[in-house]
Amino acid sequence: MKILSILVVDDDPVIRRLLEHRLKTEHYAVQVAEDGYAAENLLRTQFFDVVLTDLMMPGDIGGIEVLEIAKEINDKTEVILITAHSSVDTAVKAMQKGANDYLEKPLNFDELFLRLDKIANIQTILKNAQDLEHAMTTTESAASATIQSLEIQVANLRDSLDTVENILRNDELVDGDRVADALNVIAES
Amino acid sequence: MIKIAPNELKIIAQYIHDVSGIFLDQNKAYLFETRLSSIAEANSCTSYQELHNKAKRDASKKIEKAIVDAISTNETLFFRDKGPFELLQHKILPEVIDNRSGRPGLKPKIRIWSAASSTGQELYSIAIVLKTLLGDTNAYSLSLLGTDISDTAITQASYGKYNKFEIERGLDRKYLQKYFTLFGNSWKIKDEIRAMVNFKKLNLMQPFTVLGKFDIIFCRNVAIYFTLEDRKKLFNKLAASLENDGYLIIGSTESLTGVCPLFIPKRHLRSIFYQKK
Repeated sequence: MKILSILVVDDDPVIRRLLEHRLKTEHYAVQVAEDGYAAENLLRTQFFDVVLTDLMMPGDIGGIEVLEIAKEINDKTEVILITAHSSVDTAVKAMQKGANDYLEKPLNFDELFLRLDKIANIQTILKNAQDLEHAMTTTESAASATIQSLEIQVANLRDSLDTVENILRNDELVDGDRVADALNVIAES
Repeated sequence: MIKIAPNELKIIAQYIHDVSGIFLDQNKAYLFETRLSSIAEANSCTSYQELHNKAKRDASKKIEKAIVDAISTNETLFFRDKGPFELLQHKILPEVIDNRSGRPGLKPKIRIWSAASSTGQELYSIAIVLKTLLGDTNAYSLSLLGTDISDTAITQASYGKYNKFEIERGLDRKYLQKYFTLFGNSWKIKDEIRAMVNFKKLNLMQPFTVLGKFDIIFCRNVAIYFTLEDRKKLFNKLAASLENDGYLIIGSTESLTGVCPLFIPKRHLRSIFYQKK
């Protein structure tokens, strides 16, 4: 399965370090940002499979804004929000804006890893589907060129056969001419 | 997942052929299991024999519909293969319009049929080509029909709403912006295109002379699921439903050699179409 690249955005240094440590232990490729501005800078320079962001952060760029920026830069990036229990309504609104999921504080790491597994699975399936589609298109275009050219060749041969039959059945010609004409048609086909 | 027994394979394969014409290889048990197991479970059946019995007794045909939906392949995309649509735009439509424009005062009548329209992408692609080529479609009497064996596919086609994965496959940006409206996370075909087309359910194994005659028939990538014998029957019937100067387009990897001698293949650039002899 694919190793997901994850950007953790949280203004609390303790949670940030904890998340970074736990995710790295699980072999994810992790980077951290201490606020929305730092997150935006990172998102603009590299692609992340997942952004894990706190909903409430100081400054003009909160979790919702991080979500919007991430989706605008690349809508293939999945965003998971971390919320306090009291802000579930906001989290639901975020899902309508394209967030993948939300997790309530205090964080349950097993739950987080399950969500990440799900995202990795879907991305793997999507990649397989795209690979299959590419393989199918390639096979199909090669096969169709062959089949279509055979189709025309068969029709032309059928045509020549009909002409030969007409010549051979033509009583107005002497046998020698019939054979000569027929051989001509065959030679040209 | 419920396992299928060897004796059930034969019964179910025959049943599927009877209701849909689709031929399923009895050596591929997994095909039956992956597609039908959840239907069996949903109808509290513990075997496929039981599902078969229930489906046959079910007057509402709900189970039969679910089975046909599960078995039929809805693989389709906008402007699939490109070639046929270029053929339509640059060769076939100009010729049909020419042939049908003889009588002054009468709108040229053009009838097009997408015989296995799935979720509608093919017929909408045809409609978009027509709109692009003709501009004012009111100067013509157009009839665009899409048929499919799957009720679910027909419902989706009629609705004309596609998610971003369906849209991303094959549709040019310029057409997306011109002929679709963003609707939540999905795109909906605009009324001006939607109004040009009609969809209805049809099993190609049944007689279809009632549909009348067509100038252009698209029958792509559906006969591949039929036996040779059924393919022969189908293309003979299609020949009867096609005007004498009409055009037939089949899938790019399909062939009518040994299937239907009534048609002859013709080449235009990199595509092939068929006309009656």
